[in-house]
Amino acid sequence: MLEVANLSKKYGKTLAVDDVGFTVPDGRVGILLGPNGAGKSTVIKSIAGLLRYKGSIRIQGIDSRETEAKKCFAYVPEIPNMYEALTVREHIEFITRAYGVEVSEEEIGQLFEKFELDDKQDKLGNELSKGMMQKVSICCALIIKPRVILLDEPMVGLDPAAIKELKAVILELRDSGCTVLISTHMLEMVKELWDVTFVMDKGHILGTYVKEDLANEDLEELFFKVTGQAEKNERGEHSQEIIPDHSENADGKEDGR
Amino acid sequence: MGAVGYLYRRTMTNWIKKSLHKPVTYFYIVFFLIYLSAVPFSLRVMAEQFGINSPDGMVLVLTFLAFWVIPGNLVAYAKRKGLVYRNSDVHFLFPSPVSPKRVLLYAHIRTLFMQVLLNLFAAACGIIIFRVPTWRLVLYVLFSLVVENVTEGCIMLLLYGSERLGENQRKWIVRAAYGLIGVLVIIGVYYYLTQGLSTAALGNFLNSDAVKMVPIVGWYISVIHLLFGGASTMNIVGALLYICLLAAVVFGAARMKCTGAFYEDAAKFAEDYEEVLENQRQGGARMRIGKKKKFGRASVNWKGTGARALFYRQLLEYKKSKFFIFDVSTLFSLGAGIVIPWLYVREGGFGYVEPYIIPAVSAYLTFIFTTLNGKWAKELKSPYTYLIPDSAFAKLLNATGIQLIQCLINGVLITVPGAIVMGMSPVTAVLCVAACAVLGSNKLYALAVAEIAVGGILGTVGKQLFQMFIQGFVIMGAVLGAVLGFMAGGVMLAYCIMDVILILLTLAFMVIAALNFYKMETA
Repeated sequence: MLEVANLSKKYGKTLAVDDVGFTVPDGRVGILLGPNGAGKSTVIKSIAGLLRYKGSIRIQGIDSRETEAKKCFAYVPEIPNMYEALTVREHIEFITRAYGVEVSEEEIGQLFEKFELDDKQDKLGNELSKGMMQKVSICCALIIKPRVILLDEPMVGLDPAAIKELKAVILELRDSGCTVLISTHMLEMVKELWDVTFVMDKGHILGTYVKEDLANEDLEELFFKVTGQAEKNERGEHSQEIIPDHSENADGKEDGR
Repeated sequence: MGAVGYLYRRTMTNWIKKSLHKPVTYFYIVFFLIYLSAVPFSLRVMAEQFGINSPDGMVLVLTFLAFWVIPGNLVAYAKRKGLVYRNSDVHFLFPSPVSPKRVLLYAHIRTLFMQVLLNLFAAACGIIIFRVPTWRLVLYVLFSLVVENVTEGCIMLLLYGSERLGENQRKWIVRAAYGLIGVLVIIGVYYYLTQGLSTAALGNFLNSDAVKMVPIVGWYISVIHLLFGGASTMNIVGALLYICLLAAVVFGAARMKCTGAFYEDAAKFAEDYEEVLENQRQGGARMRIGKKKKFGRASVNWKGTGARALFYRQLLEYKKSKFFIFDVSTLFSLGAGIVIPWLYVREGGFGYVEPYIIPAVSAYLTFIFTTLNGKWAKELKSPYTYLIPDSAFAKLLNATGIQLIQCLINGVLITVPGAIVMGMSPVTAVLCVAACAVLGSNKLYALAVAEIAVGGILGTVGKQLFQMFIQGFVIMGAVLGAVLGFMAGGVMLAYCIMDVILILLTLAFMVIAALNFYKMETA
């Protein structure tokens, strides 16, 4: 379980996150939604222990700053940053030592096979493409068999096969009782994954939505409604929508819009 | 050290293995071995001239270093700076259950390799320059690597990692560290007032008992005196105080509470550090870590299409910059332009090199600012430069246009004051300005040639060395032309031939650059 209570964070005089609180129970997938600058990154970095903050963050009931909490917590940041001089295999070795977990060769092999990394094990961190780095980052998070996992834009840079695999892994984790929190803008990608959604804007949680309570409501429409961006769209403030489309259809006729 | 030890070992091993696979590594090793071997011998001459070629001289040098290094480190640690973490550490190490104290020690241990090298260099200097007995040097190296390292490591843990220290307390520690420098300066002023300005007075100041009693810095200096000069009451008292300091900081660091509150500052530092590294890789001016470049508001009247867009975009960026198109090379050109006539007046002339002193200094400045390639280096790396629908030559000219103007201004600044004071003829002065401007321009195209020739084989430093090599070739050609011209018809002809050679070689570099400017891919 992941519990965030009264979380506030200031950068100088700017209040980035103000008294935020939410809970993601065991075996549930939470989605953190919000437009750019909403404060999602601050919340995520605070949970990952990278920021000083006011309030309380508990992982499986333990203060997130405690070693015991960190042992069962995995984090996949938005931008993967590899150790340039460590191979893919050595990243895994380092992580298992850091978290003190026993992992069999078979388990590592299976994980690499899932994310098509088996032939990349001896590649150094600076020899990998961005997508490969993201796969290694995900593998490093999964290898510790976390009880709580935090994924920040995990689909970015992944190929379709890896996205499919990651979705399956997230559902597996959820089914095994793991708490999953995903921060993303790619609503389409998490449509079939989410159980609870937290919509954030301007440093506050604007709403918490449980899937079962929302019958057939679309996540995207909900997001626009809550953040007020739907009104902006209607007023034509979204530049993408007012660009005239002069493209031609496959049959050579001009688009009728 | 568990995971952290593994990380350090594997990183070092892989780095060494990878380096040994590159032929250029062996070139660097030979280059640095020759350089490092030559330095102590050349410094020996200087030490003999100043009369410090004895163990006391080494004590003086180490004392002087301690004055700056120790307070500097205290300030850096109290400000939660000075420990180098990378973004990979922020990603993997900081969120992990590795104890934050170990994470701090990991950053400290990473400097160990460099410390060993520096100590070996200091030992070599001790033998060659200061004639220190070997056993004393062995003791010094052991002290430096073990005792000094542990003391500094624990001070770092206490200042950087402690969560009991608030913002205000950190500010007071910074002030106290500056206070240490202040006390040392006051003692220095006292010695200056009582003994005057001389090498002996400086020696008396650095060896004084008052300096040895300054907390931390002075206690360290006492240990150095004890190791190199032997026992005296003050040396022993200072060394005992240093041992007490060691015990106190070890005890404090072991008991200190640290849950990783420093990660926020360390992550910010890592981000800024990576930005500086990236900027250096792009050939930009040296940035200070954490200091963002500020831009003002400006506008330009865009004219023309195609490659002209490059010129106006650069102009807009320069207009937004604090110093417009000028940088450190302009400052140095101005400085050289003032110093050359001043030296001319003071020394009563420069002898037979007098007519060529300005281009010689200009060539030297071009050489030392090889790595400073401004916007041009960034254009070479930008895909937009190659995508713009225009000829390669037009792009080359527009992308370097403003920097060519800067080279001309630098040439004027370095030449005009000296030309007036030394009584150069107007034509020679113009030829001299042209030589300096073309030398600067040559550097720009030499960068493109280096990129084309070795960009795919060598790293940044290798490319810069190659660029220096071809620039050196151009300068040698110009010198040869000047010598032949002088022998055939005097100074004017020497300048003419020098300018012609410089212009022809620069044009050749331009053509090579333009021919390869249609694609980003290099050799």
